[in-house]
Amino acid sequence: MNETDMRRRLIAPAAGGLAALGAFVFGSRPAAAQGADARAALAAASMIEEVKRRGTLRVGLSTFVPWAFRNRAGELIGFEVDVANRLAQDMSVRAEFIPTAWDGIVPALLAGRFDAIIGGMSITAARNLSANFTSSYSANGVDMAANKRLADGMVTLEAYNRPNVTIAGRRGTSAIVAAQRLMPRATFRQFDDDAQAILEVVGGRAHAMVGSMPRPLFAVLDNAEVLFSPFPQPLMRQADAMAVRKGDPDALNFLDNWVLSRQLDGWLPERHAYWFGAREWRDQVPG
Amino acid sequence: MLGVVGWVGWRAGGALNYAWDFGPVWGFVARHDPQRGWVANLLLQGLLTTLRVSFWAGMIAACVGVLMGIARASRPLFPRLVAGFYVETIRNIPPLVFVFVFYFFVSSQVLPALGIEDWIRRQPPGTLWWMEVLFGPPAQAAGVFAAILCLGLFEGAYVTEIVRGGIQSLPAGQWEAAGALGLSRRRTLRLVILPQAVARTVPPLTGQAVSLVKDSSIISLVSIQDLAFMGNEVAATTNRVFETWLVVALFYFILCVTLSALAARAERRFAIRLRKPRPSLTTTPPGFTWSPTTTAAAISARCMTG
Repeated sequence: MNETDMRRRLIAPAAGGLAALGAFVFGSRPAAAQGADARAALAAASMIEEVKRRGTLRVGLSTFVPWAFRNRAGELIGFEVDVANRLAQDMSVRAEFIPTAWDGIVPALLAGRFDAIIGGMSITAARNLSANFTSSYSANGVDMAANKRLADGMVTLEAYNRPNVTIAGRRGTSAIVAAQRLMPRATFRQFDDDAQAILEVVGGRAHAMVGSMPRPLFAVLDNAEVLFSPFPQPLMRQADAMAVRKGDPDALNFLDNWVLSRQLDGWLPERHAYWFGAREWRDQVPG
Repeated sequence: MLGVVGWVGWRAGGALNYAWDFGPVWGFVARHDPQRGWVANLLLQGLLTTLRVSFWAGMIAACVGVLMGIARASRPLFPRLVAGFYVETIRNIPPLVFVFVFYFFVSSQVLPALGIEDWIRRQPPGTLWWMEVLFGPPAQAAGVFAAILCLGLFEGAYVTEIVRGGIQSLPAGQWEAAGALGLSRRRTLRLVILPQAVARTVPPLTGQAVSLVKDSSIISLVSIQDLAFMGNEVAATTNRVFETWLVVALFYFILCVTLSALAARAERRFAIRLRKPRPSLTTTPPGFTWSPTTTAAAISARCMTG
C-alpha cells in the first residue's frame, strides 16, 4: 500500500462524516442555496427595505444651530433637515424627525427608535465602535469663543491649558472630547446644549467655550462686545456623516452612494454654503 | 414675600449682566398663523404631552399601587414578597437611573416584540385621530407608551406604600370584629377596611399626584417631547436660556397649583363624609347603604337584619 492509497482511505470517511455533519447542521440542502437564502434574509432585513415598506424614514437628530433647529412656527429647519428630506425624497418616502437628547442618541439608534442619525455627527473611533458611519458629506472643525475680559491676550493653546482656566462645552460632543485632549489641564464644565455653554462665557463664568464650527463664530458675531475668536484656524478638523446600526451592508452602500452623487451634482455643497455661510436664514428664527 | 422675590430678581439681573428679552420665548408658547389663527407652539405642545403622560402614568400608578398595596398588607407570604420586592427595588434606585435602564429595555426589547409601532401605522385615520388626542402624535406614540409605563411603575411603588399605610393604619380590632361576625377576610377587606382606608389615603395620594407631574420631567432625558424637553429645544434655538426656563417653571407651577387646589377640594369632601354621625346598631335604617365610614358594627347590623 503506497502513501496515496493510505491518504485516500483516511480522507474518504472523514469527508463523508463532514458531509453528514453539514447536513445535520444546515439541513440537507446544497451549500449554494444556503448562501442565497442567507443573502436574501440579510437584504430583506436591511434598514432600506424596512423604510420602503413603512413609507417613512425615521431620522434621529438633536438641536444644533445651524444643523437642526426650530423656526418661528416650531418646525425643524437646518442643514441636516434639508439632507434628510432630500434623502427621503430620493427614496420616495417621507422623512420623520425624532428629536433626541444628544448624549443618548447612539443608544436610541441601537434601540431602534429611528433608522439613522442625520444630525451633524462627527466620526470618532469611540462612536464607530458601536455604530457604522457612511461616507462624510460635510467637513467640520472644532472652534473656540473666548471672553474678552477673562481671556485677554490668550491666543495659544498653552494659555488655556491651565487648571485655573474654565472651558464650557456641550456634553457628549466630539468638540468637548477634542478640547479635553488638546488642553488636558484646563477645567471643563459641560452643559446640555451650546446655548448654555455660550451663556457661561458671556456671563464671565467661563473663560471660553468650545463647539463645532460655525457655532462659536456665530456666538462671537452675536456678542461682539464680550466675546472674541482666539484662534484663526480650527483646533481640530473633523468629518460629519450619517450613523446607522451595524450589520447592514445594503444601507451603508446605498447611503454612501447617495452622498457621493449629491456631492458630485453640487446639491450638498450648495446647501452647506447656505446654512454655514452668511446666515441668510436668520429672518426665519426668532431672537 | 413679593419684595424679597423682586429684590432677588433685581440682584440677579444686575449681577448677571444680562439683557432680558422674553419676546422670542413667548413666540414659542403660541403663535399667530395667517390661515389658522392662534395655534399652540412648542411649549404649549410640550405642556399637553406632560398632561397626557402624567394622566396615563397616574392611572397605571393607581392600579399597580392599589393591587400591590393590598398584596403588601396581606397575610400570605408570596404576595407580600412580590410586592415588597417591587417597592424596595424601585425606591432604592434613583428615578433617573430607573428611567434610563427601564426605558431602553422596554423600547428596544418589549415594544418591538409586541409590534406596537407597526400596529399603529396600520390603523385607519379615525383611530389615529383618537390616538393623537389621547397619546399625542402617532409617530412618537411607541416612545410615549414606554415612558408612560416607566413613570407609572415608578410612581406605583410610592402609591403602594400609601395604600399599605392606609390599610394598616386601621386598628386590628376592625379585622377581629368583622371576623367574629363571620365575614371572610376578602369581604372584610372589601366592605370594612378599604372604604375607610380610601378616605384616609386621599391626602397623601393627591400629594403624590402633584409630585408625579413634577417627576414626569425626567422622561425628557429619554427624549419624550414633554414640557422640559421642549424647553431645552427652545433654549437651544433662541439662546434665551434663563427666559425659557422661567417660562417653563411658570407652566409647571400653574399646573401643580391647579392640581393642589383640586386635591384640597377632594380632601374637604372626604373630610365632611368622615365627620358624618356614625350609624349605630339601634338606628340602622332598613334601606342600609354603606359609605366610606361604614364600620364593622354597621356591617354586622346589616348582616343580622338581612
